[in-house]
Parts: sequence; structure tokens; C-alpha cells
Amino acid sequence: MTRLYLSDDTSARAAGADRLARAWADAPGVELVRTSSRGAFFLEPMVEREMPAGSGMQRAAWSNVRAVDLPRILAGSDGTPVSQIPFLAQQTRVTFANFGVTQPLSPGDYVAHEGGRGLDRARGLSPEGIIAELKGSGLRGRGGAAFPVWAKWEAARTTAADRKYVVANADEGDAGTYCDRMILEGEPYRLIEGMLICALAIGADTGYIYCRQEYPAAARTIQAAIEEAEQSGMLDFKGARFQLDVLIGAGAYVCGEETALLESLEGQRGVVRAKPPYPAVSGLYGRPTVVSNVLTFATVPSILTRGGNWYASMGTERSRGTVVLQLGGRVKQPGLVEIPFGATLEEVLDRFGGGMAPGARFKAVQVGGPLGSLFPASQLGIRISYDAFAEAGAILGHGGIVIYDEETDMVELARHFMAFTADESCGKCTPCRIGSVRGREILERIQAGHGQPGDLELLADLGDTMKTASLCALGGRAPYPVLTAI
Amino acid sequence: MTKRSSLNLNLDLNLVLERCRTDPPNVLRTLLAVQEAFGYVAPSAVPEIARTLGVTEADVAGVLSYYPELRMTQPGRHLVRICMGESCFANHCDRLLTAVRSYLGVDLGHTTPDWKFTLDRIHCLGNCGVGPTVLVDEDIYGRVNPADISSLLDTYR
Repeated sequence: MTRLYLSDDTSARAAGADRLARAWADAPGVELVRTSSRGAFFLEPMVEREMPAGSGMQRAAWSNVRAVDLPRILAGSDGTPVSQIPFLAQQTRVTFANFGVTQPLSPGDYVAHEGGRGLDRARGLSPEGIIAELKGSGLRGRGGAAFPVWAKWEAARTTAADRKYVVANADEGDAGTYCDRMILEGEPYRLIEGMLICALAIGADTGYIYCRQEYPAAARTIQAAIEEAEQSGMLDFKGARFQLDVLIGAGAYVCGEETALLESLEGQRGVVRAKPPYPAVSGLYGRPTVVSNVLTFATVPSILTRGGNWYASMGTERSRGTVVLQLGGRVKQPGLVEIPFGATLEEVLDRFGGGMAPGARFKAVQVGGPLGSLFPASQLGIRISYDAFAEAGAILGHGGIVIYDEETDMVELARHFMAFTADESCGKCTPCRIGSVRGREILERIQAGHGQPGDLELLADLGDTMKTASLCALGGRAPYPVLTAI
Repeated sequence: MTKRSSLNLNLDLNLVLERCRTDPPNVLRTLLAVQEAFGYVAPSAVPEIARTLGVTEADVAGVLSYYPELRMTQPGRHLVRICMGESCFANHCDRLLTAVRSYLGVDLGHTTPDWKFTLDRIHCLGNCGVGPTVLVDEDIYGRVNPADISSLLDTYR
């Protein structure tokens, strides 16, 4: 019996993994195990198996597999040792160390790969001790705001209340990003572990995972993991069971903003709240609530297991640890890249992206989602860190990197961004609600050939108003992709 | 619609709503449950929903009109959605949209006359590494070329 590993990640399936599974369902001598994905999506569907190497075994991989490749794989010919795939070998996988290796819903696999050890250590620490470890790590929120995680937890810890909440933001609305989806589908216990560590630190007994509706497989998987965790006792502490539920969104991008998310959790229109008060002090139903991104929570267990100082030893002065980038668009090698902060954008596009897709010529790259700035070829020397990007008026956001080619019209792209803001605006702030529509109209007029002198100045002026007078980053950042595209 | 069938619809709605009585009431959860059961939320159901939850009709209508995924009209048998997220956009999903509009003969937000297909767009399924992406009901397709559209949709006829 030969054991073959094939991912059931949504993107692996979109690439044809389920077709392989169906074709090989009755193949003699084959035991097919479905795992998370390595995140090297340009290679999916990818099939792996253990092969002898030296005195042990190692995983060998076949990429872009078709059903007819089965005999070749069973014969063990033409496989590439995974350790020799440059895209993967050059990464520093910390949070994503087990991806491609373990079965997502196997508690045994999770425990065998250090799973649960962070929570074990946290149970033996005081809340202050847990937060000290987070402080030492320098971990900043990975959703986009990059706020120091320890400070958010500390604010919630020190606010007295009859109950407190831990909320995972699984809305991941930035197009071009998928690391949260991969975590929910590929290692859901890691998210649960991170949330439980937070609960211990702040004194919460209830948690929610707000998952975008566009991720049905992810929602099903995390739900199944929670049910398993309930049965195994993972959710038991202090003599009670931590109450953890998954709630699904309904397609509003702005519900990825933490206060709009809370409004949506409460069942209302996802409209942004003014801050202060901050959710850590007054959040869900007015109680202290830590709202953090899925990746942020998923990073926490390793920090408890190996120590905050270990995590802080990677990265740059004020961007510690690893960054998780997601390459997409017209790049040759789209996929997930986890590396220490500090590399240049150019290095990332070359060493990991492998340049452009066949036949495509580089025009611009957008970092940080639909509100991210665009960079031309001349500006790729920028270092991947929160400070370097902030200085350039840009954002890392949730790590999405989308490459556009020469066939993309920049005016149409700018219109697309403005229209997106107009569609997704919650409506609270006049500059965002109305400015985005006016901006879109100006661009459409330009596209129709009726551009007027002063149009670009008008757009810039509109942009200034939106930047300074918006309650959240949707209106605040909207002008950047538009103006940098132009 | 006959009086009898509208009575049945009302009874089913009440069954769904009974399961949504929570304290405090959650309007969005309730609307999602109604859509799960019926495929959409009929505006005529708003008063009953408001009454069951103990909120105003304005509250319910406000939430119903806010979220893109909540539908107020019955969709066709198959929901065809093209991803217009930035990565799929960079991978020229506009060409897919053109091909689908041509094949189906309807524009975004509309349903074919035989009620088989409703065409819509969606913003990001997280398939950015394997785009451009087409979603038909719950089936996700990646690396789709415009030339693939007719055979892809033919399987749903």
C-alpha cells in the first residue's frame, strides 16, 4: 500500500485535486490522505509520498498532477524532494510549518507536531505572564492595523466586566489574501489554541469566529474542529467549558474592520463605530473584547511554546518575527510565502514569485489589498516592514501582493478601486460615501474621453478630504490605490 | 400564487423563525436562516420577522438592504458568480465576464429567461493563487479561460 498525500484546500481543489481523488478512488495499492496545502499554488494539484533518503525517509512531490500520472508516482520516478523546491526551501515557516504535512482535522497529527504545547505552557502562567511573553515577541496585529497585540490584550485584561469575549476576525476581505482561509481549512486547531491562550490572558469565557460567507469550506472545517475540541476537552478550563461559536458574514467588506464586525456579530448593519472606546474596553455588547485577525491568533501558540524572545529574534527593529505574504495576479509562482520581515519587495517577487507569468510583462504591483498602494518597477527596493511602508504612505495590510501586467489598463483599475469603495462604504462618513462615487464618476468620464483639465487635481483634492475625514481605513485609504495607479 | 401555497410558506417561515428567537435578538442571523430555507428573503416577510424578533420593520429592512449576500428576489436554479477580486482582476477576469454574459445572454444581477442561471459577481473567494475564479453554486473553478466557459456551464444544463 502506498500512501499518497493530496491537499483538500479550496485552491488545491480549484486546481483539480478532487478530480484526482475521484479518478484514483478505486486505484489498487493507493491510500490517499488529504492534507492541508503547502501553499505553493503554482504547483497544485501536488501529490507527495515518502521516499527513502539516506538513513531515513523524506517527502517527494509531483506537481501539476493529472490522473494519468499515477503509475509514475507509484513507481517513484521523477519526484522532487520537497526540501529541494526553492519556493518552499527558502522560506522560514513558523506559523505555516505543518502545512502540506498534517491532516487538518486530526488531533493526533496536531499534537504530534507541537500542537497544544503553547496552551499547556499558558495554563501554567499567570495572565500577566502570558502577556509578558506576547510583549517580548513584539507581535503586531496581522490583519492590517499592526497594533501591538500585547497592548490590546492588556487593555482587555485590566478592564473589569461581568464577561469578556475573544473574537477571531475571519472575514479576510482583502482580495489577494488567503492565509486565513488556509489556516481555517488547514490547521483549525491552531486558531483555537491561540484564541484560548488569549482567553486565559484576559479572562474571557466566550469566543466567536466571524467567518466570511465566501469561505464555506473554511467555515465547515473550523466548525468541525470546534466540535472535536469540545469532545476532547481542549475547550475545558477553570472547571468550565469555553464557549466557541462560528458566525457567518454576509458579503460586506467593511465587516473586516473590527468595530463593523462587532456590529455585524450583534446582528446589525455592519457600520463602523467611533473609537474610543476601543473594543478591548467596550466591544461586543459593550464588554471587553479582543478582536484579532486569524493569522494573529495562529501566531500566538509558537510564541508561548518557544518564547517571545525567540520570535523577536527574527525580523526588523519594529517589525518582529515573520511576515506571511500571499502572491497573486500575473506572477509566475503564486503562493504563500512566510519569511522574516526585512526582505525587499524586489527580492520577494524574484526569489519567490519567479518573475512574471509566461508572456506577461510587469506593469505594477499592489501590496496590502484593494486599499493598498501600487508600486512601479522603479520602487521595488522598498523593505517589507510596517515602518518602511508607512513612511512611503503605503501599507502591508494582510500581506497580499498582486502583480498587474501591461494588459491591465490603469484608469480602469483606478475606477475599479473607487467603485469598490463606493459599493462597500458603510455610509457613515460623507467623504467616503459620496467622495467615492464622485471619484468613480470622474474616472468614468475620463474613460469616456471627456476628461477635463483639473480632473486629476480634483481627484487628489477629493482624496485629501477622504484621507483626513474618514472614521476607518476604507475611506482613509481609498485614495491611495487610485492615485498610485494613475 | 394560490392562497393555499402562500399559507404553507407562512407556516414554514414561522418554523424557521421559531429557531431564531434569541436574547438579545440577532437580525442578521435570522435573515441568513430565512435565506437558507427559502433561497432569498421576501420583503413581504419583513413584518413577520420584525414581530417575532421584537424589533421594528425598519431594523429588519435596514439589515436586509445592507448586506450584498442577502437576496430579496428568488435566484435562478444555478448561481454563477465571477470573482472580481484584485488577483482575479489582474488575471483578466473581465474576459471571463464577457464570455459568461455572451453565453448566458444576461448581464450581472440578472437571471436567464428559463430561470436556470443567475449571473452575479463576488469579491474574493480566497482562490487568488489559482485564479481567475468562477463559482457555480458551491463548485469552485480555478485557472478558468474564457474558452472554457461554455463547457463549464454546459454541465449544469
